[in-house]
Amino acid sequence: MSEGLPLLILFGSQSGNAEDLASKAAKQGAQLGLSATVKGMDEIQLSELPSFQRVLIYCSTWGEGEQPDNAEDLWQAASADGAPSMGGCHFAVCALGDTSYEFFCESGKEWDGWFEKQGATRLVPRLDCDVDYDKPAAEFTTEALSHFAAVGADGVYVEANVGTASGDSSATQSPSTDDSVATSDEVELVGEGVEELLSSGDRSLDILFGSQSGNSEALAAKIAKQAKSYGLEGKVHDMDGFDFNSLAAKKRVIIVCSTWGEGEQPDNAEELWQFANSDAASRMEGVHFAVCALGDSSYEFFCESGKEWDRIFETLGATRIVERLDCDVDYDAPAAEWTLEVLPNLAAVDSTGLFHEDMVDSINQLASGTSGAEGEDGFTVPSIQADSIQVEVSVFRYDPEAASTGSDSWACVFPGHTSVMEALRAIKATHDGSLTFRDGTSDDPSTAISVNGRLVLPGRTRIDSIVSTREGVARMRIDPIPGSEVIRDLVVDHWPLERKRESSEPWMVASTREGFQAPQGVIGTMHSVVATRLHSLADYDSAPLLHASSDAVPYANGFLGPAVLASSWARRCDPRTAPESKDSIEAIIGSKNGIKAETDLAPISRRAGYSGAVSEGLLEARTKALENDSFNGLLGKHVWWYCWTVKSSGKVNDTVLYRQVLGPIGLLGNLFSGVTARMVLGFTRTGGSILNDILGMVAPPAGIGKMPRQFNTSVENHHQVVAIFNEMDGRF
Amino acid sequence: MAMKYAYHPGNVAHSGSPEVAETMAPVARSLGLTLTPLEGATSCGAGIIRQANRKLQITLNARTFAMAESLGLEILTPCAATAGNLQEDLDSLRGDPLLLQEVNDILSRTCGMTFSGGTEVRHLLHVLVDEIGLEKIEKLAINPLNMEVAGYYSPYIQREGACGEDDVHDPDYMERLISALGGSAVQWEGRTNSVGAPGLLSEEGTVLRQAAAVLSEAKEEGAEIIVSACNLSHSVLDIYQGKAGRTSGISTNIPVIHLTEMLSFVMGHHNTRFAQLRTRVAVIGD
Repeated sequence: MSEGLPLLILFGSQSGNAEDLASKAAKQGAQLGLSATVKGMDEIQLSELPSFQRVLIYCSTWGEGEQPDNAEDLWQAASADGAPSMGGCHFAVCALGDTSYEFFCESGKEWDGWFEKQGATRLVPRLDCDVDYDKPAAEFTTEALSHFAAVGADGVYVEANVGTASGDSSATQSPSTDDSVATSDEVELVGEGVEELLSSGDRSLDILFGSQSGNSEALAAKIAKQAKSYGLEGKVHDMDGFDFNSLAAKKRVIIVCSTWGEGEQPDNAEELWQFANSDAASRMEGVHFAVCALGDSSYEFFCESGKEWDRIFETLGATRIVERLDCDVDYDAPAAEWTLEVLPNLAAVDSTGLFHEDMVDSINQLASGTSGAEGEDGFTVPSIQADSIQVEVSVFRYDPEAASTGSDSWACVFPGHTSVMEALRAIKATHDGSLTFRDGTSDDPSTAISVNGRLVLPGRTRIDSIVSTREGVARMRIDPIPGSEVIRDLVVDHWPLERKRESSEPWMVASTREGFQAPQGVIGTMHSVVATRLHSLADYDSAPLLHASSDAVPYANGFLGPAVLASSWARRCDPRTAPESKDSIEAIIGSKNGIKAETDLAPISRRAGYSGAVSEGLLEARTKALENDSFNGLLGKHVWWYCWTVKSSGKVNDTVLYRQVLGPIGLLGNLFSGVTARMVLGFTRTGGSILNDILGMVAPPAGIGKMPRQFNTSVENHHQVVAIFNEMDGRF
Repeated sequence: MAMKYAYHPGNVAHSGSPEVAETMAPVARSLGLTLTPLEGATSCGAGIIRQANRKLQITLNARTFAMAESLGLEILTPCAATAGNLQEDLDSLRGDPLLLQEVNDILSRTCGMTFSGGTEVRHLLHVLVDEIGLEKIEKLAINPLNMEVAGYYSPYIQREGACGEDDVHDPDYMERLISALGGSAVQWEGRTNSVGAPGLLSEEGTVLRQAAAVLSEAKEEGAEIIVSACNLSHSVLDIYQGKAGRTSGISTNIPVIHLTEMLSFVMGHHNTRFAQLRTRVAVIGD
């Protein structure tokens, strides 16, 4: 290998990325018969460069378009007068950068221009990489090396010897060449494994959105993100300004498009739609596509725009990979399900445009197997094994036909890391096939159950984290979540919650807002602090689970519940929401079935297990509702007079509260319902001094039995309490 | 060695529940607790003041914390609602330095005091189990309970960081205490459920149904009495139990006593009252 064709690989690196790429290229080059020397730009003199016939550069950019530290001196020398000629040299440059900076890849561009100016021959066009550079850089390296290998020992470049050009890498390269560095297309054509298919060649997925309110755009972005799990590189395109004919060269395309007005295309799609219907539109025989149409079934032309795109792609010769989905306003769940079907199918389309239907199942398995193990940053979470534990599992049972309830118990042994969902599946498979529970993915919100009093998603909950060990016995008591009607065993009816969500008008009515000109078009702006807060206000895993965290829900007919209200409050706090919509949301939150129907916020904050922001948001919603009512109504009066009495003496005065909140009619009601009697006769239950109570009757109702005192003594330094009130809230 | 605490009686002990104050004092003597009353402490807010103004409730409670801190003592209270509210506000102050600074500025201007975070909030139940120990308490049990007892925790102390070493969602401190006092602890689900005390005056119908569910479950599980660790919830469970039963149409009659009463009775401080309670259990039923 040492007698191979010499190749100088230079790196200008600040953080090590360029150096890594250089090292990888050297190893790869050896397989092509190239004898690579890797050097940092600070390890070579400018005068040495002309002696190399092949120079491959990896260079990052630093700060405001500056050379990285280790390249600065060489660049200064190169920029000075008298720089040597590079005639006879063949070069290629891979520039690393970050598009969020103004001078994107500036250093690489400078080296590219310098070599050209000094007479060197550019073998392949410069590659400008963004922060996510791995894939494009790898492809660039493969291509560049095959070209360098085509530069003979005599310094003559023979294009016919380039592996990619001939389509037969083994015939054009040195004897050491093997299939692993063949062009990606060849690998796909000869490769048999799914992993090869998912990692080789063009894996781009182009997702075009036509959006009026932003829903399609958001959905397109979500699909693009998800595509990564299927070995696809999702690219999201605004239809506005998109070159329609460029689609002809694509292999995989998804259209996400809403419908506007009376079946019209959204504004940003109109021009592209006109072009697609013109004679200038290219044929798309090699394209596989799928369409997700967003709409509102209350309109006559439901999902019309999406239907039109579906038709035109078919007319132009593209292949529909999955049937079009027509979504109503509540599109999240169906769109998510559709995406899970579309992505593995599109992933099974190789870079030649061939659809490998037989690989779809394997791709699905591969994707589901890796999705849980890899974080979004690609960091692989190690699987953590735990010792087996013996558990006494008790499961609530309900048979709707016999209308009987009870519980069944099994003694089981599970590895500690087993999820509760896996345990239920195992019990069902091996002990009792009639056991009924909602099965689903680990983050499926509808699977929520109660385990040992905790409200959890069973797929996310390890057994060893939730068993209760008493007297040496590990127990797991599994119940349906409270607050919902049980259909069978652990399955509850989520439909009432959905109806409540529906009644809260959960759609976004946006106001016009300022935009920001980004490369992909105009996008809205939001300060990160606001965005973070908005996210945290509705940051809960499962609406049924949050709904069940309220102890009032099972007993308050019509109460919307914390999940619906948290979501509503988040929309109320969203600066994108139109002012009139905010008023409407506040009216719903403040209604009799809104936040005021919650009797106690404490159970929600202790059970929810989310960031405190959700329960804080509910508290804010309650405060807002009270303020909007000027502290009128029973709750308003209760809160107002509670504060007033504490300001008055430092202690709460229940007598004042009863009198002011309930009024004479309410007090009479208590008199006749026995409440007052149980207060007055409290001493018969507590065994308090009857003499003292008789004395109390001299000035009724001053502390008779359990009757609250009419007058409080003030706390010490009461003036401090008054001063705090005066300083912080002058309303009381 | 005597254990010393700054004592906060809770919101209703001064008024509608004088029996708490009457029983707490002799229990503290038996347990060797030295309680220094926080005479200047305000109501904890019961989660109600914060509905109008969250920072106002936090500041009022910060004043209470500052008083305990100046005494060099932790706060002890027999009321779960007070313990829970104080703990929540203490956590807020500790978790947000800017909020602590803002509150201290106000305290400094209005009261001439500041709080640096140097106190803790303890509910009596957790002091009994974690600090004093059930073995010692067992030795102090002169009149064993000999009853089926349902321990009611309320939701307020059952939260992370506020319930000692006990399980937040599946606690057993109360059951272990009842056993140590010679009673038979009833196992039931409703022991940590809210009875909606903060909403009693505004959402009475819902609260009565919540209370009825808790009371009836305890009865169905065989309890002869309920012992409440929450003074505020006790008011609903005791005073409103008749109305709750009539509203819901289910049986709710059962004696409900405070944690401090149970301790006092078993430790022999109020033998007549204990006899009266036994009579109620045996004869009247509520």
